[in-house]
Amino acid sequence: MMRSSQPSFEEERRALPFLIPALLVLCLISLYPLIQGISRMFYTYQALTQKTVFVGLQNVELLFSDHLFLRAFTNSLVWTGASVIMQFLLSYWLATMLNSRFLRLRRMFRGITIIPWALSPVVIALMWRYIFLGNGPLNMFLQSLGMAHPPSWLTEPRLALWTCIIANIWMGIPFVTVMLLAGLQTIDKNLLDAAAIDGANYLQTQYRIIIPSVKKVILIILTLETIWTFNMFDIVFVLTKGGPGNASLTLPLYAYENAFMYYQPGYGATIGMFILLCLLTVVVLYIREVLR
Amino acid sequence: MRIHPLKQILLHIFVIMFMVLLIFPMVLLLFNSFKSEAEIFAAPMGVPKSITFNNYAEVLTQSTFLINFKNSALVAFATVFLSMMVSAPAGYALSRFKFRGRTLFSVWLLATQSFPGIIMVLGLFVMLRTYHLLNTLPGLIVMYTSFSMPFSIWLLKGYFDKIPVALEEAARIDGCSRARSLVKIVLPLSVPGLLAVGTFSLLLSWNEFFFALVIMRDNAHYTLPVFLARFMGSGGVVRWGPLSAAALLVCIPVLILFILGQKYLVSGLTGGAIK
Repeated sequence: MMRSSQPSFEEERRALPFLIPALLVLCLISLYPLIQGISRMFYTYQALTQKTVFVGLQNVELLFSDHLFLRAFTNSLVWTGASVIMQFLLSYWLATMLNSRFLRLRRMFRGITIIPWALSPVVIALMWRYIFLGNGPLNMFLQSLGMAHPPSWLTEPRLALWTCIIANIWMGIPFVTVMLLAGLQTIDKNLLDAAAIDGANYLQTQYRIIIPSVKKVILIILTLETIWTFNMFDIVFVLTKGGPGNASLTLPLYAYENAFMYYQPGYGATIGMFILLCLLTVVVLYIREVLR
Repeated sequence: MRIHPLKQILLHIFVIMFMVLLIFPMVLLLFNSFKSEAEIFAAPMGVPKSITFNNYAEVLTQSTFLINFKNSALVAFATVFLSMMVSAPAGYALSRFKFRGRTLFSVWLLATQSFPGIIMVLGLFVMLRTYHLLNTLPGLIVMYTSFSMPFSIWLLKGYFDKIPVALEEAARIDGCSRARSLVKIVLPLSVPGLLAVGTFSLLLSWNEFFFALVIMRDNAHYTLPVFLARFMGSGGVVRWGPLSAAALLVCIPVLILFILGQKYLVSGLTGGAIK
């Protein structure tokens, strides 16, 4: 419904009443807290005097000399990169299979795929915390396969972050699969048949027909999943609380700890601002790609 | 078109493998909720041998579960209602009028997704404290409404776009105002869209954890996800039997509603993304 002409004053005036509730919510509960939250990065709380004082860019300087921040940032990159890539690849595989006309009981399988979408991340995290317990079901299974000393998934520093990533991948599969499947279903079957008749092999069909047809869906999924995963707090908080040590500490967790456990809301807001800048870059890249 | 039988068998094996991986964690949760603490670790993967309802009884009688359930239900109900009230007119304006800033809308939609929870919660914290809404359900409700609004408006705009303008024009000639035609003509035809918005905001408000964790200060005000996290405790011994029962009780109501509403949510979300 794109209209090219300049909107008339009359039109805008009539649209306004319909927009007022949304604009109110937007300004009061989205824009105002955003600005208020960002402004916190220029202040620090002094425990001795119990006062909040203006410190300019001191929190930003702190950020660049903070090793733990660097640790949390690299963890966040690994966490987001691995989660998004694995979610996408597994979901793509599953979606193409669910879209295959040679699959029986397709409706049932699609119905099952969607179920975990409804679960709270907290429930998902506690489910996986049980599975990954030292004497839990996963290790029991590994032992029955003959592995004498299965790893302790949640307390081994090298593994803790990856354990969280596995739970997060599991959580993302339903949404990504359903979106991809909807994209795949829009592809003209005749096009695929024609390609098959012309002797296109599997990879050619994927690269020349399927991926270009669902490129828009893929872009929006990757963008949203990157944003959501980078901002994800619940899974790591419930599974490891960032531990052991700070092995699985990610940026949202580190920001939360500073703001609400170490009484450094100013530093927490600074980390938040860093997250925001990272994610806005992703949004800008997406918009540029779409407008191209 | 035909396919090699071996390939078809492999296809089914892989799909079933995926289904097992998706279902199995939930099945474990179900089993554990009916097992005694001793049996949970004696046979972590087995079917419960002697079904016990003690876990459920404990959660329902010896914890604040029912209070927290009521909190969550209230928050979810109010968020769903408010999201519809706010998003329907805005979606209508986007679909029917032209005004400056329309194209900004989709950018804003994406941008709000990228706002870090920590910044929003710090800003909201100050605001809620000023208006004495900290540690209250209304505070949480207005927050969740604002979180669900971008997607809700976008979903509804998509549904409104599909309704022919001609239907309204006929009524407008008979003297029907824009607002009336939204309520009397457009909304009744957009029930699937409203169901999509309802399902989306229900999931969001029922499952949200971070903001509830920060805003809610005591047991009597927690919503269910915070209750679960507190019930599990930090460190120490986790009592998996009652915890599994509680987690299951948290999931079931929303799972039932989700299964009823997912069709609309999926078609709403994918319809917009594919266009």
